[in-house]
Amino acid sequence: MNAPHPRNWDSLRQSRGRRLERAAAVGLGKAVPAERIVDLLEAVIQPGDRVCLEGNNQKQADFLSESLADCDPARINDLGMVQSVLALPSHVDLFERGLASRLDFSFSGPQGARLAKLVQQQRIEIGAIHTYLELFGRYFLDLTPNVALIAAQAADAEGNLYLGPNTEDTPAIVEATAFKGGIVIAQVNERLDKLPRVDVPADWVDFTVLAPKPNYIEPLFTRDPAQITEVQVLMAMMAIKGIYAEYGVTRLNHGIGFDTAAIELLLPTYAAELGLKGKICTHWALNPHPTLIPAIESGFVQSVHSFGSEVGMEAYVAARSDVFFTGADGSMRSNRAFSQTAGLYACDMFIGSTLQMDLAGNSSTATLGRITGFGGAPNMGSDPHGRRHASPAWLKAGREAAGPNAIRGRKLVVQMVESFREHMAPVFVEELDAWQLQKVMGADLPPIMIYGDDVSHIVTEEGIANLLLCRTPEEREQAIRGVAGFTPVGLARDQAMVENLRDRGIVRRAEDLGIDPRMASRDLLAARSVKDLVRWSGGLYNPPSRFRNW
Amino acid sequence: MSIPRHSYFEATARRRLAGLLDAGSFREILPPAESTPSPHLASLDLPGAFDDGVIVGSGRLAGKPVLVISQEGQFMGGAVGEIHGAKIVGLLRRAVAEKPAAVLFLIDSGGVRLHEANAGLIAISEIMRAVLATRAAGVPVLALVGGSCGAFGGMGIVAKLCSAILISEEGRLALSGPEVIETVAGVEEFDAKDRALVWRVTGGKHRYLMGDCAALVEDDIASFAAAAGAWLAGQQEAGPSLAALRATQTQLENRVAAYAAYRDGLQVWAALGVQNPESVPLLDRDSLVAIKEGLPT
Repeated sequence: MNAPHPRNWDSLRQSRGRRLERAAAVGLGKAVPAERIVDLLEAVIQPGDRVCLEGNNQKQADFLSESLADCDPARINDLGMVQSVLALPSHVDLFERGLASRLDFSFSGPQGARLAKLVQQQRIEIGAIHTYLELFGRYFLDLTPNVALIAAQAADAEGNLYLGPNTEDTPAIVEATAFKGGIVIAQVNERLDKLPRVDVPADWVDFTVLAPKPNYIEPLFTRDPAQITEVQVLMAMMAIKGIYAEYGVTRLNHGIGFDTAAIELLLPTYAAELGLKGKICTHWALNPHPTLIPAIESGFVQSVHSFGSEVGMEAYVAARSDVFFTGADGSMRSNRAFSQTAGLYACDMFIGSTLQMDLAGNSSTATLGRITGFGGAPNMGSDPHGRRHASPAWLKAGREAAGPNAIRGRKLVVQMVESFREHMAPVFVEELDAWQLQKVMGADLPPIMIYGDDVSHIVTEEGIANLLLCRTPEEREQAIRGVAGFTPVGLARDQAMVENLRDRGIVRRAEDLGIDPRMASRDLLAARSVKDLVRWSGGLYNPPSRFRNW
Repeated sequence: MSIPRHSYFEATARRRLAGLLDAGSFREILPPAESTPSPHLASLDLPGAFDDGVIVGSGRLAGKPVLVISQEGQFMGGAVGEIHGAKIVGLLRRAVAEKPAAVLFLIDSGGVRLHEANAGLIAISEIMRAVLATRAAGVPVLALVGGSCGAFGGMGIVAKLCSAILISEEGRLALSGPEVIETVAGVEEFDAKDRALVWRVTGGKHRYLMGDCAALVEDDIASFAAAAGAWLAGQQEAGPSLAALRATQTQLENRVAAYAAYRDGLQVWAALGVQNPESVPLLDRDSLVAIKEGLPT
């Protein structure tokens, strides 16, 4: 047998050593001055590297992102970017300026239109659009970063990091990078002699830089109660009485729309009057929504684990450590990977909204000309076949779907939509825009957010459709048409079949639930303004100025 | 804590009356079926309302007979057009003849309906005259200000001509509206988008601290009813008098001398002797009333 070809088994470690030497050679130590950040990036990043740029829909490593975009494309190019969210203009600049060429991501939000253009011009190659958990998973398999650029609240002299309430994705990114020969660079808002707590130990961190401005955080989860409509109040009443109460949903996640904010604000009033306190909504995988404050203060909520934090909620969360996860220092600790896992496997219900839904119940937030991605909704809005532990809600849903001898339960996946969204665009459609988008983008699959076979209920102003009880695709289609209101899809219903479904409890109207639509008043909301939320919090909630009128 | 269940601010004009008056006592005069929408709006191809944005009628408040006027802020900002104004003036003239215990004037209006031009302006001046005539006849006119449009423009003046004003924190009272000031004098003079500033300068708490209103009430229909009932119980309408007008004139001159240089309610409150002026916007009603009562007079 021939001698095996000699192989170098620590090339990653050697590469890491050479990168650190190059940084040292240009005079850079662990604490890098902000004005030399481009020198550092050009020293440690190589063409063809896989680079993770931290940023989610909340916290953003914005200084590092802008600095990377300012690097010389002659020295740094052909990067493969792996990142949760493409949200900042500088994220897209990387591709327009020729620094990066490939992208694996999860969500693109405000940059969706620019991204779509670059894809059509073939100036960007998209590996895949993931859910958060998939992307985090691939960080530990085939998309491990060579360099991670992250955001932290504070660093001490050794390079230990304090992440603050917005821990978010940092632990997953750092773990994957630091333990596979990668380089971790952190932008920090402040340097402290003594950190409140250590979230990332110094020997996992190679460089820290004090950013000229604190990292940007978007108050994404703040919904002003003043904007909740009486139609949303009616839908919230139907959801509480027809779903939360009937299944006894205790462990859940809410989307970020006004529909679910209305539910949160009806818990201390309408749900309490129905005697549901302690019986529903006790344990949450949820960001610290300001609209949850009245339910927490009323004793509805026992526990909340969060993906990230929310601007202005810091002091409130710190003062309610029985409810939220906090460190020994008192401040909040969030973690997107763990909270998504809780949302996927430990929650009995996900309820959220969408922009379009077809007759099979598939829903999508993609519209033509924009690539928006998925974020975490598909993880939470899916029935995980790997789940084994039972709960009353999960069992009841499973038996409704597969009969009394069902061998598994079902997660409740509820879509809550008004039949028309803004500009009178119908939510219910014969064909999702996602299919056309797939053709235009040359993607393998249409960007469907929540698959129809995972959806258990649809709540509209016209009523609730229980898809678990449907036995044929025709019944499913008519159940959806039966709550689709005056949209063309709704008007094309088979009236007799919908009435039959109503007799079987598959389609339920407000009156079938014992709800008088005339009682659906904003007066039922536990808070009608952001100021009411501040008062509920005893002055602990400190809303961003754009939500204030005082 | 709990938030009052029936917000006055968010309620319609009809809902406010239903909650304010003794149950079942309200009788509408010129209900929608007997009224006609504004011909001026129709000629401009603008949608009208059968009640032209104001409801008038009679009822009882804590057992006492009252006449009521309730403006609908959700129709054209409660603006006063020809028919709208005529309904109000007619109601006030009826009060002079019938002598009820009071007229309750639920103001929710930005002032004149500009689409109706001179007809609207004349209507406002007729309302002013009718309010004074009603008071001169010994019938108090009580203004209730807590709607989303506040009391601005001509209706700001009308409010001040009434016997007294009850206001909620959400209520606003001024002559020129914030947008008007910004348009005329520039954003440097007044930033109408700074909602916090708008409330610090025109809002109910500021008006109450300044002594412009008889009472500050919660944003709750029942609280308005209770405050109106209490005010009525202790009220004797003396009618407008020269002496009272002179006293008010002196008071206003003193106010201009003391506060004209200030840019913000915060500065005024500090000058009034409020200990932590920045805390005022978040204080609840009872705490603010306690502060007001502790102020040097």
